[in-house]
Amino acid sequence: MAKARRNKRGPFEYAHKLSMQTVFVLATIFLYAPIVVLIIFSFNDSRRGGNVIWRGFTTDYYVKAANNASLIEAFVNSLAIAVISTIFAVILGAITAIVLWRFRFPLKPGYEGLVALPIVIPEICMGVAIAVFFSSMGLYVSPGTLWPFNLTNIIIAHITFSFPFAAMVIRTRLNNFNREMEEAAKDLGASEFQVFRDILLPHMKPGLIAGGLLAFTLSLDDFVITFFTSGPDTVTFPVKVYSMVRFSVTPEINAASTVLILITLVLTAIAMRFQSFEEEHK
Amino acid sequence: MTDAIISIRNVTKRFGSFTAVEDVTIDIQPGEIFALLGPSGCGKSTLLRMIAGFETPTEGDILIDGKDVTDVAPNRRPVNMVFQSYAVFPHMSVADNVAYGLKMDRLPGAEIKEKVAEALEQVKLTDFAHRMPDQLSGGQRQRVALARALAKRPRVLLLDEPLSALDAKLRDAMRLELVKLQESVGVSFVMVTHDQSEALAMADRVAVLKDGRLMQLADPMTLYKHPSDTFVADFIGRVNFFEVEEFKPGSAEVRVQSLGAVTLPTPVEFAAGEKLVLAVRPEYMRVRPWDGTGVAATLGDVGFQGDSSIVEVTLESGQPVQVLSGIADTPVLLGLEPGAKVGVDVDLGEGRVLRG
Ligand SMILES: Nc1ncnc2c1ncn2[C@@H]1O[C@H](COP(=O)(O)OP(=O)(O)OP(=O)(O)O)[C@@H](O)[C@H]1O
Ligand SMILES: [Mg+2]
Repeated sequence: MAKARRNKRGPFEYAHKLSMQTVFVLATIFLYAPIVVLIIFSFNDSRRGGNVIWRGFTTDYYVKAANNASLIEAFVNSLAIAVISTIFAVILGAITAIVLWRFRFPLKPGYEGLVALPIVIPEICMGVAIAVFFSSMGLYVSPGTLWPFNLTNIIIAHITFSFPFAAMVIRTRLNNFNREMEEAAKDLGASEFQVFRDILLPHMKPGLIAGGLLAFTLSLDDFVITFFTSGPDTVTFPVKVYSMVRFSVTPEINAASTVLILITLVLTAIAMRFQSFEEEHK
Repeated sequence: MTDAIISIRNVTKRFGSFTAVEDVTIDIQPGEIFALLGPSGCGKSTLLRMIAGFETPTEGDILIDGKDVTDVAPNRRPVNMVFQSYAVFPHMSVADNVAYGLKMDRLPGAEIKEKVAEALEQVKLTDFAHRMPDQLSGGQRQRVALARALAKRPRVLLLDEPLSALDAKLRDAMRLELVKLQESVGVSFVMVTHDQSEALAMADRVAVLKDGRLMQLADPMTLYKHPSDTFVADFIGRVNFFEVEEFKPGSAEVRVQSLGAVTLPTPVEFAAGEKLVLAVRPEYMRVRPWDGTGVAATLGDVGFQGDSSIVEVTLESGQPVQVLSGIADTPVLLGLEPGAKVGVDVDLGEGRVLRG
């Protein structure tokens, strides 16, 4: 009797239905097909990246991309911007999150909404607003400024749009902090600072990592806001790719993009490893 | 002035216009288990938190070891607390949790190690020193919290609802273990509980609170046998109340609702005109088949508990009462139909006249 019951399908076991399986497979293809194609054709021995005919395997375009000085420069710029803006975004985000979580003050809901606003404002508006702000304040980077200070404007713009994301992630993490933990530490003799260092910070760590990762990837692939805030001689990877594509699509772009995907994947993997390591040792 | 280890003197705590604790004065003696008992929201946690330093009294003073600590921060008070949620630090091993408070005291490493080992030994967690908290059961986590607080050798250990997060069976076992632990370490325990049986079973003295006010402070036996008022009588165990309809101050002759004219063992000490009740615990009453003596009543439900039964009867006057029947009477009562006529005896020697 028990056996007969087991064979009956539960009301929500959609996964058994063929239609559901089909949708799942299609969705996966839809998600990853463009990326897979991009990677495959980075090895295509053809002059044009948009060429759909496979003409044999080659790694020439990786070599070519590596030797393309302006592409490399753009790539390094992007990484520098992402690293620096992430550090600031996480610090600012953490402080904002702690203030919002910890303190009660007048108009707090309004302020909370204000912090989250950059997340919902269309990027194009943010881009224009920041560009107008910089020029009206006379904040422009003079040509010949030392690297990476020539990226200051872009970095500031990136911090502006990415720190609210970091703040949201960290805030969510703080919400399930048990305040008795803090009192317990104080009860055992810890000062405010020791409570922060020994108890609150370790609790926030997964949030800091997740928030940082989010800020990093947002910064790395941002096009719109960067486009509006970059000077004529500071180019980031997405902006560079855009200009190259307008000129002609070559497998070189595929190769460079593949490297970017790889970097993102590796970083995500490291972060996830780090987090699961934490979990194991809890 | 006194040898009390903690003196709570005329302490009042207000949150805005709401008074959580009102003019409470309590002395806690060295080496005792002291329970703060009361229904939810009566202010017992607030009182405990004021001793720990997490709340500041609006009025009054708190003295630890004769020193006024009213304005001393929690991390500088010689008391330690076991929190209701245990608040074990999840990212530290059991040993690191216990060592944390000692590190805050900047003790040398060797001494910390020694004290951690000793504290873990006291709570029987030596084999778990290197486990992380999420690999522990609820009861083990509580013992980590205990060891962590005891390792600091506090003058007083504060416990907020120490057993409420455990399941019923473990709770009973931990009652005894906590008492044994207290005896072996010798520090005073101040525990908060809303469970009267817990307070009676564990504490040397109990303070009963209601709406922020101290209703009675006594040892468990006195509390049970001589409650100061109807609230305490009702909160500590089961009780039946009979309205006193007529009495003369200084006389033991009274007229009581449902029972009629009775003679109490001691004269009534209250002033004329006061509203009084006679309180009788169910175990000082007896139900038996009707034989023309005692108070006539109708049998209701018999709740068999194994070693005894709680019998509900309705007296002639219409008043429902509860009677605790011993195992000797139970089979007879179980044999009667509900609704049968029974006689109820009341042991007036254990009746208490209280302000109603
Ligand atoms: N920080 C606070 N702000 C405002 N009111 C508070 C605060 N802390 C406690 N109270 C109120 O004070 C009263 C007593 O609270 P307390 O926590 O001491 O109750 P308790 O006796 O421990 O109850 P329980 O058994 O439910 O834990 C409650 O009505 C509570 O709402
Ligand atoms: Mg409480």
